[in-house]
Formats: sequence, C-alpha cells, structure tokens
Amino acid sequence: MALQGMIAKKAAVVAAFILLAFVFLVIRIAGIMRDNGEQYKKQVLAQQEYDSVTIPYQRGAITDRNGTLLAYSERVYNVILDNYLLNNDGDDGRSTEPTLTALGRCFSDVSVEDLRGFVRDNPDARYHIIKKNVSFDEMEAYKAYVEETNAAITEANKESELKSPKINDKAVWFEDQFRRMYPGGSLACDVIGFTTGDGQGQYGLEEYYNDQLTGTNGREYGYLLAENALERTVIPAKNGNTLVTTIDSYIQGVCEEKLKAYNEEHAGEFREGEMGSDNTGVIIMDIHSGEILAMASYPYFDLNNPKDLSMYSEDEVNYLIEREGDEEKASQYLWKNFCISQSYEPGSVCKTFTVAAALDAGAIHDGDSYDCRGYLTFGEGDHATTIRCHQRYGDGMIDVKTAVEKSCNVALMLIGQRLGKERFLEYQKNFNFGLRTNVDLAGEMRTSSLVFNSSNMGITELMTSTFGQGFNVTMIQTISAYCSLVNGGYYYQPHVVKQILDDSGAVVENIEPLVMRQVVSGSVSDLMKDYCIGVVEEGTGTRARPAGYKIGGKTGTAERSGQGKRDYTVSFMGFAPADDPQIAIYVVIDRPNAATQEFGTRYACLLCRDILTDVLPYLHIFMTEPLSDDEKKELEERGKRITVSENSIEDDEESVSVNEVTETEEGTGETEETPVVELNINPNTGVTVDPINGEELDPETGVPVDPDSGIFQDAGGNSIEIEVLHDDSSGDDDPRL
Amino acid sequence: MEKRRGNNKIDVALLVVMTGLIVIGLLMIYSSSAYNAGGDDPQKFFKAQLRAEVLGAVAMLVVTFIPYKLLRKLGSAPYRYFVLGFALLTVLALLTGLGHTAKGATRWIQIAGMRVQPAEIVKIAVIVYLAGYISEAPDRINHIRGYLAGFGVAALAAGMVYGISSNLSSAIIIGGIAVLMLFVGTKDWFWQILIYLGLLAGVIFVVFIIIKNTDDISHLDFRFKRIMIWRHPEAFLLDNGYQTLQALYAIGSGGFTGKGIGASVQKLGTIPEVHNDMIFSVICEEMGLVGAAVILILFLLLIYRCLRIALGSHDSFGMLLCVGVMFHIAIQVILNILVVTNTIPNTGVSLPFISYGGSSAVFLMTEMGLVQRVARESEL
Repeated sequence: MALQGMIAKKAAVVAAFILLAFVFLVIRIAGIMRDNGEQYKKQVLAQQEYDSVTIPYQRGAITDRNGTLLAYSERVYNVILDNYLLNNDGDDGRSTEPTLTALGRCFSDVSVEDLRGFVRDNPDARYHIIKKNVSFDEMEAYKAYVEETNAAITEANKESELKSPKINDKAVWFEDQFRRMYPGGSLACDVIGFTTGDGQGQYGLEEYYNDQLTGTNGREYGYLLAENALERTVIPAKNGNTLVTTIDSYIQGVCEEKLKAYNEEHAGEFREGEMGSDNTGVIIMDIHSGEILAMASYPYFDLNNPKDLSMYSEDEVNYLIEREGDEEKASQYLWKNFCISQSYEPGSVCKTFTVAAALDAGAIHDGDSYDCRGYLTFGEGDHATTIRCHQRYGDGMIDVKTAVEKSCNVALMLIGQRLGKERFLEYQKNFNFGLRTNVDLAGEMRTSSLVFNSSNMGITELMTSTFGQGFNVTMIQTISAYCSLVNGGYYYQPHVVKQILDDSGAVVENIEPLVMRQVVSGSVSDLMKDYCIGVVEEGTGTRARPAGYKIGGKTGTAERSGQGKRDYTVSFMGFAPADDPQIAIYVVIDRPNAATQEFGTRYACLLCRDILTDVLPYLHIFMTEPLSDDEKKELEERGKRITVSENSIEDDEESVSVNEVTETEEGTGETEETPVVELNINPNTGVTVDPINGEELDPETGVPVDPDSGIFQDAGGNSIEIEVLHDDSSGDDDPRL
Repeated sequence: MEKRRGNNKIDVALLVVMTGLIVIGLLMIYSSSAYNAGGDDPQKFFKAQLRAEVLGAVAMLVVTFIPYKLLRKLGSAPYRYFVLGFALLTVLALLTGLGHTAKGATRWIQIAGMRVQPAEIVKIAVIVYLAGYISEAPDRINHIRGYLAGFGVAALAAGMVYGISSNLSSAIIIGGIAVLMLFVGTKDWFWQILIYLGLLAGVIFVVFIIIKNTDDISHLDFRFKRIMIWRHPEAFLLDNGYQTLQALYAIGSGGFTGKGIGASVQKLGTIPEVHNDMIFSVICEEMGLVGAAVILILFLLLIYRCLRIALGSHDSFGMLLCVGVMFHIAIQVILNILVVTNTIPNTGVSLPFISYGGSSAVFLMTEMGLVQRVARESEL
C-alpha cells in the first residue's frame, strides 16, 4: 500500500534524525563533563559544608569566688520565617494570615503589617529572621499558642462548611544560638570585659582568657557509607571552660557603689560639666595571696550594653566625646580598666617604698632623725635645685616614723641621699615598678619607659622619686608592692582567676598564689606596718580610719605633670586590720573635681573609710577600737552591727584576745574558702590533733581516738581557739604552727 | 472471520528494554529520593512509583491482549471522537472541584484518592485519534483542509492542556507528536519541513531578542524568566536558576564513569525535586558518561523496536500507532536531556520510564501495550 510505504520511509527518516539528536545529546553531556568537570566537582564539594548543621558551643561562665555568676551564655533563639512554605502550604497560601497574626501576637515588636508586605514581595524567600534573641520561654509560649489555636480551628472546621486555614507550623522555625549575659549589669565591668557579636572577648577576663572560655562548635552532618546508606552523625559541641575568679561580688559591689556615689556627688563641683573625677579607681587585695577581691573604676559601663552612655549626664557625655575625639573613643575610654591600663605619678604613697628600701638596705635605721626646714637645696652653682616640703616652715627635727606620718618631703630626700641611686633603682625594680605585674587581665600597661634607669636618673630625679614624683606607675603595680610591705615582705603576683572548671564542673586548673620574691625582711615589714598605722592614727591619713577599726595606710598627692598646677592625683593606700593585716586597699582619684588639693586628699581617705566600713564587717573582722557617740550614730544609720566586744572597749589588754579570735579566723571565715586542714601534734601527748574539730587522731589510721579532750570550741562560731591545742606550759609559742 | 495475520507473538526485545529502563528508573528514584523523603520512610517515593508501575503493567497487559478489531474500532469514527473527547473532559475536570493543586499549578485530578494528570491521557488519546484519522482516509491530509482538520484537533487538545493546566511542556509534546504523525502520513516533504523549521527559527529568534534586551527579569512572565535563567543560571539562583545550575554541577562532577551508584552528593537536598525531571543529572553524577550513554542506547533500542514493529505491521493504523508512541518517547527523552544539560530553557519534561510520576508511568506503559498489540499483528 502506498500509504504504508510512505509512512515507513518517512518514519525511518525521522528515526534517523532522532538518532542524530541522541548523538548530539551524548556529545553535549561529554562536553559539560570535559569543560566544567573539574570546576563542578569542586563546586559540589564546596557546597557540602552548607548542608551540615553547626551546633554552637556554649561560652564558659565567669563566677565570683563564691560561685555567683558574673557572666554566662544563655541559649536564645532566632525566629525564622520561610515564605516559600507559607505560600506552598497546600492551601493556596491561606495559612499566611493566621501564621503572621500568631507571630505578631506572641512576639513583641513584630509588625504583622511589615511581614505581610515581606511575604507578598518575596514569595520564595526561605530564610528571614523575624526576631533575634527570643528566650526559651517565649519560644515555648509561641509553640503552645500555635498548638492550641490549631486544635481549636480543627474543632471548628468539623462543625463548619467554611474551612478556616490553620497556623502554618512548618513555615516558622527557631534557630538556636547563645547570647552573653552579665547578670550584674555593670558589676565588675572593668575586670570582666565583654564579648563581640561573634563571641570574641574584648577587655578584661573575656579577652585574657578567651581561649579558655571559647569552646569548639559541634556539627551534625550526613554522609554516605560504603553500602550507600545515609548516615547522620553528630559531633557534639565542646563547651568553654568556666572561670572562678577571686572577686567577691559583695566587696566589688560596695566599691562600685561608693565610687559612683562619690563621683555623682562631686560631678561638676569645680569644673562644670565634668564628672567627679577623670578616673577613680579602687583595688582590694588579699595581702597573703595576691588575690584581687575587688577592682573597680569610675566611669563604668554596662556590660550588657557596652556602648550605652545613658547613665551619664548630657554634659558629661559631651565632655568625654570632646576630650576623646569621638563617641567610639569615649566608649573605649570607659572600657579601659583604669586600675591596670593607665599610669600616673603616684605621689607620697611611694614614700613607704623609699623608706622600706632604705631600712632594708641598712642605709637608715628606725629612730634616725632628720631636720626639715621646709625646703632642701642640693647640687651646686647653676645646678642647685631647691625642693620645698609642703609644710612651708618645716617639720623640724623628726624621726623616720614621723617623716612617714607627716609625709615630709625633705626627710624623704635625705633618706634617698643615704640610699643612693643604684640601690633605689634596685629596690624599685624589686617592687616591680617599671615591669608588668602579669595580672591575668587584658590590657595591662607597660611602664618600663616611664620609670628612671641608672643612665637617665640624676640627683633631681632621685630626689623627686623618693616622694613619688617623676615616674609613673599603675594601680595594680602599686598595691601589689604594698601588699609585700605589710605581709612580711613577700611579693605575690596579683591574680583574678583562682580556678578553671570545665563545663561539667570538674577542675581543669587551680591557680595557686605565686610568690615572686621576698622584697624586704620581716622586721622591715613590721616597721612599715607600724609607720603606716601611725599615719592613720596621728598623721595625714586620720580620716581614712573606719569607725571601730584600727588600720594602717599612707596618703598620696601627686601633681599631674604637664597639666598645670591645678591638677592632682590623690590617693590613699592602706591595710586592715592593723594588728593582723588581711587586706590591702588602694583608692586613687585622678584629677578630682575639687578646688584645692587639700580637699582631694581628704576625699581619697573618706572614700576608703566609706568602703572599709562596709567591707571589714563582711570579712568577719571584729572591731577593736572604742566608738565615739558620733561613730555609733553613724554605724546605726548605716545599719551596721557593732562587732566590738564590750570588755575590749573598757580594757585594752582584753582586745588582744579579741584579735586572737580574729587571727584564728584566717582561712575560715573571711573568704569562705574550705579551710586547709593541717594536722597538729599535741606536744603533751604526742598525738595528732585535727585542728578543725580538735579531735585527737590515731596517727596510723587518722581516726579520732579521743573526742573528749577538753578542747574549747569558740561559742561565737565555727572558729577554734587553736591556742588550746598547746598545753598551758607552751603558751608563749606562736599559736599558729 | 478475517484470516489471521502476524505471528501473534509479543515483541520480547521491546519488553526487555522497557523493563530495563523501568528497573533503572526505580533504582534511581530510590537512590535520589531516599534522602529527601525524610525520616519517616525513605522508600516513600520508590513505593509510590512501584505501585504506579504495577498498575501500568496491568494496563499494558490488558491492552496487549484486547482484540485488534476493538482497537481499530477505537481509531475509527465516531469512536475516536469519544476517546479524544473523554481525554479533553478530564482536562476540563481540572476546573471543577476534582482539580488538585500542587506546587502552584493545578495539573492533577483526584478521584477516589488517586491522582491523575489529564495531560498524560491527552497524549495517548491524540496518538490514537491521529492514527485513526490518517489511516481512515489516507489521501485526506494531503489536502490542506484535511491536514488542518487533523492538526487543528491536536492543536485544540494542546491548547487546552496549556490553557487549563498551564503545562507548556505537555502542550509542546502533544504538538510535536501531531506534527510528526501528520508528516509521516503526507506525501509532501518540502513544505512541511520548510514551515516547521521556519517556525522553529522564528521562536529561537524571538528568544534571542528577549535575551539581548532584558536586564531586569522581575517584571517578566515566568516563562520568559526561565529563558533568562537558561542563559545565566548563576545570576538567578533565587529563581529557578538554582535547580538548573545544581543539575549541571551534578552532571559535570560525574566524570566518565561516575561516582558510583548511590554516591551522588547533589541528591542530598541540593537539587530540588531531584527524583522528578532532574533525575538524569543524578544518573550522570552516579554513573557518569557511560551510564548516560547506556540509558540513551536503551531508549534508542526502544525506539528502534517501535520502528521495526511499525514497519512489520500490515496495517497503516497499527503503523501510525507505533510511530506515534515512538515520537512521543523520543520527543520527551530529547527535551528532558536538553533541559537537564541547560541546552534549552527549563521546562518540566519528565524522562520516560525513569522520572518519578505515576500518571506518566501508567500511560507510557499503556502505550507500550498498544505497540505490543500491534507487534502481535506484525510479521517480524
């Protein structure tokens, strides 16, 4: 048949073209593989990373010495909207409206109107962050709302012909991440530092211990096994380590509160529109370990919102911005830790170091006398220089102790001449001036070029250095050195972190007190304590003494070089309690907003007194001194308990026993640390005694053998009169073995 | 009783080749969809396809063994009008409550829990209709009026598929089948080749103009968008460029022998809907150029068997049925691979016997049944 023949012929021709087309296809595929094969292979591998899910690690927490959280990372959630799923919900996108309404209802500051527009304009967008940092509770509330509402709609739809759309629970999902929280707000802001958005520590502990605090992200990913099965694997995140600091939240809080009160009180007092001072800093340290109990400075900032300046008045902010250049720099000025990052001329507080060095070197002796006529001239001819004492008409004949008490410049210069340049510099180096203390905080300033060395120190430089002018120090350097003066001469490296824990609470590292060197002998240390007590009892620092306590210390007033005569750095550095020093405190007011220098020094003393009045009772240090009526009234107003025993006020000798009680408290009450258990041996029986509960122990087994040994347990608390461990016959021995 | 012609045997080679393609298809659907099927049942898509193919096998068996007279009767007037009419009614049913919408288009009708794509019914109906129309009065289409009458019916069907289910690719396939069937049925060579090649050149020219003069695609109709995406898939990742580009990555990264069956990386959520139209890219990635060539050779064998059966047939209706089915398969294979390799703009064409899709599988196997029925009548 003609038709069949034609069909056959033409079909065969078309089939031939089909064959050609197929050949073209194979060539085309081979072409893609040849030309782009390598590039596409890499592309495919490169894309794989995005298919796996990162599990974020949790940055380690920072706690104070008692475990109170200072910084932690909280899991928060970002609310993500998937427009594509909204529009392709199998219901012509009708679920959009109820879903957006639910979002608007459950999350504040989410505008349903804006979302509607966004969904309309970007129907295929699959990842849109609606709200960041939603808490777990908020997320759960949303989920519960969706569940309830959808159940209600299902119920209603059963009854009604009209099928109401449900909330699309697939189109909204939550992505978790961590947010750094600082529950104390600005508490210990200078010490802690903060983190940037990408989790890098800035300033303070956050920066210094960034490696410890940072963990490793985990990952969840899929891969193919040899037998072509898909395997999903989770590598869990490794969380960062927790830092246990030596900071005590209470003491830190007291310091910050007092600094703030002082600066707010004096804001604009002399120079309008400025704060109470350029900087005010305070450090409280445990003199027997170098542990920093508190470190605070004003101006402060809010850790949760480091760029916020709203706590300062408009004038103050404007002044800061003008002085620092711009807002960014003004913020950086706040973030900087004054206590470690800024140097200044220390002034008279350094007289203690000069005197201690001279005594230790044997250049002078306790009781040596000096004649102060109000000025001292040294050098000859054109090079003759005269330096005045602040007592214009001279202090007269004074001994070493009085020189310190009255802060006499002339006597100090004479002492400096006896000591000589080389020995002065050697001691200065031993006290760590010019070197970093290596305190474990980011941003400690280098001062090596800000102190003299033997090549650039002439007689004038030596003379001014004896009373703390001409060279620069940081607060942390000064107080660390001062601790060694009053603790028997041992220089401890200051530190802020005492323990590093992993995320399960196991100890990774204990940071023990580190003695760097002995700077002065024990007897010199005792003399220095005596001199410093004199300063507070009858010298320049009487205002620093808190009611009911006896403390030692030294005032300081330094002219700020290059700033004109009106600017001073005033300070008070002291220790408490006088009879058995436990803590050292250093208060520095940099450029106080006051008319005269005299007022400035007084402010430093009063600030110290104010702080110690709150801190000493907290440390379970009992009052030893009689209280005047005014002082009693003041303590009552401040809600302080009078901790001095009645008989100690009446009888001075009794107060010794009160001190003994305090002494034995060391290690138990004050810092709430676990007491170090050292076994004592009863010299009478030769039996080992547990110093905590006084039980006699079997030296072989450590089991108590005779619980009833007549040991006196102090009724006042958990402290023990260790004295009774010794027999009466050996009562003269140092009770602490 | 008419004397029996033909050997009454089914074509085993055709059956084997088809089965081979289906098995490879099931394997690749399982391989490519297991990840995307989610946690509940990795075999979800595999099982659905297997069910459809069992149903298709039953349909094929039934068609293979229906009386040839009955088949011929379906091609004759007025029955062929009923066949096509029924198919077009299913298209119209999309407009009623039976229509089922997925991924933004209403392309399925849902009856008693089963979803059918009317476009697939129309394809087989057009083949049967034109085979009957041409063979009934062979000389009719050599006249312009007869030709246009045949072409017009097919164009109406294609137009309805495009207009109602906005399924351009199926409309193109239906048009292509009609053009080729009418071509083999007419004496004319010159004019048809000239006209259709001219039309093709015109379309390419228009597309070219659009590409030249467009920078911003946001206001374009989605089909024109796809043209722009075709030229610069990397520039339109938020639109459909992503799928196209990822398919290219899959093909390119396969190499000569591929990464090994099951070893595709791109199927792991990267290529959207990978088990559907883009399944050939995973074949290339896992089995390389060799695997792609094997698939194409199997299709060539299938086409060759259809041609041989057609040539061996004693009757022009059977011949036209076979070449119609042959054209259908060839067009779909070529279009699909052209899309996957980004040689032409993206339009959703599935790869016969291999891509996931129940309606396509059932009706393609029914078409195979038609060819087998003709084979029983032909002498090979």
